[in-house]
Amino acid sequence: MNRTLEHILPNVQKPARYTGGEYNAVVKDKQTVKTRFALCFPDTYEIGMSNLGCRILYGLMNERKDVWCERCFAPWGDMEEEMRREGLLLYGLESGDPISDFDIIGFSLGYEMAYSNVLNMLDLAEVPLRSADRPDLTPLVVAGGTCCYNPEPLAPFIDFFSLGEGEEVTLEYIDLYQQAKEEGWSKEEFLREVAKIPGIYVPSLYDVTYHEDGTVAAITPKDGAPATVTKRIVQDMNKSYFPVKTIIPSTEIVHDRVMLELFRGCIRGCRFCQAGYAYRPVRSRDPKLLAEYGKAACEDSGYQEMTLSSLSSTDYPCLMELCDDLLDYCAPRDIGLSLPSLRADTFSMNLMERLQRVRKGGLTFAPEAGTQRLRDAINKNLREEDLLQSCRTAFSGGWSGVKLYFMLGLPTETDEDVLGIADLARKVYFAWRECTPNKARGVRITVSTSWFVPKPHTAFQWDAQIPVEEYQRRVNLLRDALKRDKSITYNWHDPETSYLEAVFSRGDRRLADVLEWAWAHGAKMDSWSEYFDFRRWMDALSACGLDGDFYAHRVREKDEVFPWSVPSVGVSRDFLWRERELCYQSQTTPDCRTRCSGCGANKLLTGGGRCG
Amino acid sequence: MADRLLFSKTGRAKYISHLDLMRTFQRAFARAKIPIKHTEGFNPHPFVSIALPLSVGYSSQCEILEFGLLEGTSYEEVPARLTAAMPEGIVVHQCYPAQRKLKELASLNYIMNFEYPEGRPQAAEPAMRELLGRESLVVQKKSNKSKKGYTEVDLISLIRGWNLECQSDTMTLDAVLSAQNPGLNPELIRAAFCQAYPQFAPDFVTFHRREVLDVEGKPFR
Repeated sequence: MNRTLEHILPNVQKPARYTGGEYNAVVKDKQTVKTRFALCFPDTYEIGMSNLGCRILYGLMNERKDVWCERCFAPWGDMEEEMRREGLLLYGLESGDPISDFDIIGFSLGYEMAYSNVLNMLDLAEVPLRSADRPDLTPLVVAGGTCCYNPEPLAPFIDFFSLGEGEEVTLEYIDLYQQAKEEGWSKEEFLREVAKIPGIYVPSLYDVTYHEDGTVAAITPKDGAPATVTKRIVQDMNKSYFPVKTIIPSTEIVHDRVMLELFRGCIRGCRFCQAGYAYRPVRSRDPKLLAEYGKAACEDSGYQEMTLSSLSSTDYPCLMELCDDLLDYCAPRDIGLSLPSLRADTFSMNLMERLQRVRKGGLTFAPEAGTQRLRDAINKNLREEDLLQSCRTAFSGGWSGVKLYFMLGLPTETDEDVLGIADLARKVYFAWRECTPNKARGVRITVSTSWFVPKPHTAFQWDAQIPVEEYQRRVNLLRDALKRDKSITYNWHDPETSYLEAVFSRGDRRLADVLEWAWAHGAKMDSWSEYFDFRRWMDALSACGLDGDFYAHRVREKDEVFPWSVPSVGVSRDFLWRERELCYQSQTTPDCRTRCSGCGANKLLTGGGRCG
Repeated sequence: MADRLLFSKTGRAKYISHLDLMRTFQRAFARAKIPIKHTEGFNPHPFVSIALPLSVGYSSQCEILEFGLLEGTSYEEVPARLTAAMPEGIVVHQCYPAQRKLKELASLNYIMNFEYPEGRPQAAEPAMRELLGRESLVVQKKSNKSKKGYTEVDLISLIRGWNLECQSDTMTLDAVLSAQNPGLNPELIRAAFCQAYPQFAPDFVTFHRREVLDVEGKPFR
């Protein structure tokens, strides 16, 4: 281990985050590999190591003999301070070598509040922040993840973005990079070529012009770059890579368990949900294969916990069969099986009993809205009676706590809808009184609300986030309505980060300056309250002459050119607009299994495959 | 009585904390498919217990872990199988049924290496000899139990023996310290030295546990 690192580790909290050497970490001889890849997650080790996508890419790349992929996370403040003082550059955990010596530096972008960490990590690596200031082919700075469906605020910093699922395209661009290196291409030559790979978006190949009012006038591709870059998907989930053998951290992380990915996509079509649109089409894994993966992953990891992961686990067609199969394995070994992302409407007694065989976790439902009218408007096709029935089932089975998640500020929301949240929570409370076998134990009902952030590539991409004063008024309305209910706890999300999310998620390239200004003035780890400073971001916006409300609180025209017009998730803009119109009529759209609504994502399935 | 493992923890594994190390062992037993006894109760989990927790950042070649081996695995095969299931830096040397009680574990042999990359001041050695040669050396030690937030300990009474060796850029203290009731963390010796002789404060100090000893000074197993 590096001497400098050894000397600073005793001074920092949780040093095991910075050492590598975990079970299953991949160490190769750097002389024998052609390409070194730094897989960077712009948050702490504990968060980044919990990311399934990163585990997939790590395993996939390291299966190749000629590639060595290492991990890199954002150091906590105490570690950063030590690193800067001692001149220790940001390094890959496996080798300890500075990532500035690597061929490719790849970031996983899952949420907007991590953007400042991207800049901070590049700076800690002494890699120039802007693509234009990195004239050489090496190191390339690339990014993937769901934020890349509107990567514009990061456009000047990143050489290219990889849209969609990375299993295939990552290996394709590594091949091209190897060819470029062997044949001595310039960076410009390489970028022009890599833009021809489907799913690769090279921001420097597009000129953006603006109207006087600040909206985008045109995005013009140059040097043969495509007008639309459509995301990549894995065609067959039964043939795609699954990380059975994966790194087992020596220190506790957030999701410290086996993660079994049931399927990608979601049949529901909730109109606010970016993931619901962006991960289309639905593609499932075979239950027998999943059971095999799950068992093998438990054996290899020694984990005592397994979780089934997807956007809506109860929509997995073979859920019962899979649970039975897994429980036969887990129960005798005291391995806990948990099932997040349950929908209240299909939550059956049967399933609950099965899960209870091992350990009893908490129960969380997300009705999202308080009245049936608003739930219909956002296409959250959940009936109140189904939710209450699920709660009754749970309470009779001995559960004594339920968490209910809602959003405030959804399009068309009225005070009646806000107060409907309180009514619904009270009905859940009465369901408990009616069904609990043990009244003396009491019940804990938690209502949480967040401030709705309209996201690109959703039916609400045209809509405004409500102003902060109005959000606060609705919070107060609900808080007052729930004041007397002792068994109901009300939590609300603080509005500041939601505002910045609204700004950046639908932002344009001009926000890059805001990002750089904020970073230069100390912004980092903005998803952590220890570091987040709203004032700094507001100062950054005004220093750059931009108005955050323009991005967050403005209703867009139907035909406005969005900054995210080039990236496509495969869902047509016409379909999203139709969905928006249906919202304003409080009309629902059936789920994809009941009836295909023609969103366009099935066209991503080559060879005429069907969603499912 | 329980079964025991003798293992070392060096290199990158030095930074695994006590709690994380227990979790690592629980998982490593499962990975190696070595069945071990579980705790009883509402939430049963594999039982492992580490005799003398090691501070984060210290290395050791003599850690002792207690557990219960279930039928089907021989003592001889445990070290190799378990080591293969471990993160880098943890090596299991022996597995055996416990013959004596843990309270017979009396002292620990530590190697402390004081590093002076710019060259060791000549007078650092006599300074250390002076410090350790005192009749008593009372220092304050953080304590959560005490109302004052600290307790006082006499270091000299807890040092069973020591030997000092110097090279051009290091000073190595080989010391036998009381292990329990109360034990002495060698960090307190470093701190006392730096307080008494700030001009000889080293650039860095490494701590290594070399042996666990019984009252007679023989290796404890």
